[in-house]
Amino acid sequence: MDKIIYAILISNDRQDELTRLLSGIRGISDSNLFNITYNDISVVASDFSSNKIIVDKEFAIDYARVIEDLAQHFTLLPVRFGTLMESPDAINEILIKYYDEFKQNLQKVENKYEFSLKVLWDYEKCSGKIRLKTESEDQNAAKLFHNNSVSTEYLLKKIKEHRFESALLEHVEQLIGEISTRLAQLNPIHKFQKMVTPNIILDAVFLLEKHKKDEFIQAIDHLKSQHDDLNFLLTGPWPPYNFVEITLK
Amino acid sequence: MSEDKILLNSGPIDDFVGEIEKLESSATSRVNATPDNADSGLAKLVLTLIELIRKLVEKQAMRRVEGGSLTDDEIEKLGETLMKLEAKMEELKEIFKLTDEDLNINLGPLGNLM
Repeated sequence: MDKIIYAILISNDRQDELTRLLSGIRGISDSNLFNITYNDISVVASDFSSNKIIVDKEFAIDYARVIEDLAQHFTLLPVRFGTLMESPDAINEILIKYYDEFKQNLQKVENKYEFSLKVLWDYEKCSGKIRLKTESEDQNAAKLFHNNSVSTEYLLKKIKEHRFESALLEHVEQLIGEISTRLAQLNPIHKFQKMVTPNIILDAVFLLEKHKKDEFIQAIDHLKSQHDDLNFLLTGPWPPYNFVEITLK
Repeated sequence: MSEDKILLNSGPIDDFVGEIEKLESSATSRVNATPDNADSGLAKLVLTLIELIRKLVEKQAMRRVEGGSLTDDEIEKLGETLMKLEAKMEELKEIFKLTDEDLNINLGPLGNLM
């Protein structure tokens, strides 16, 4: 039977605690969790029969719940959803082969939490304001053309669109710059994605020392008070889903 | 996501949920080629790449026009070429029943293609 892997964690000399913890958590489809240990790190896994289990949203939530429960007690690396290995021996081989990389990543996330920040604006309202601003420049754009033809009209329309898009992007970058400068004071490791939808101007994840959690919330709260036109959604703490960089070959 | 995971929320939660659902639906609309739809899956991938290149060409052309380095004749030709490229792209999208949203890709730190 295949084994499904949930996480790799630092177990050190806390084997008994880990065993007790695992006996109190149920894996997906009510399976028993077990650990395979090499030196000071362990893999947490359970049996998995793909014939019996339907992989759906509930399955994913169960999987995340196991990782969440483990993360409350141990520093861990969450494993990609649905990672299967054929036997305990295969898991052990992976532990030995990638021990140094696992350890390096575990040290990177030790005593840290992941937080997610989404910043929304009202695209229609904000872009309307920016469009008004760029309209005055648009009048100068017509001076670039001396001929009046279908081609030049098309180019003029395109130039107006590009100017609007550039102004919009510049404004978004300025906002993101303000947010990142404020949060950089807490030295988090971060990953930013901007304009993932017209309304989400920033979708970011942060890896931050646990003791800075309250300070981080206060910093976001301060940013919120400075930007009435933006909505902030801060969630966490999460296991470090976005900060593990290991590719198994 | 359970409510105890929300540390701070300054807007209506429904707005965030709506936007996150949009993100999820765009993630699931990625190229999904199967033996039955290999043609359209491949067309989507190829047209997305063509659209990316077309947009880059268009941006570069706008810079040159605004830079004032082109003659009236060159501007005329450039406008006509870009117009024809866009029309051809629309034609291809119609043939393969694709929308602008289908061809949109997230370029990471650069934002969305469209």
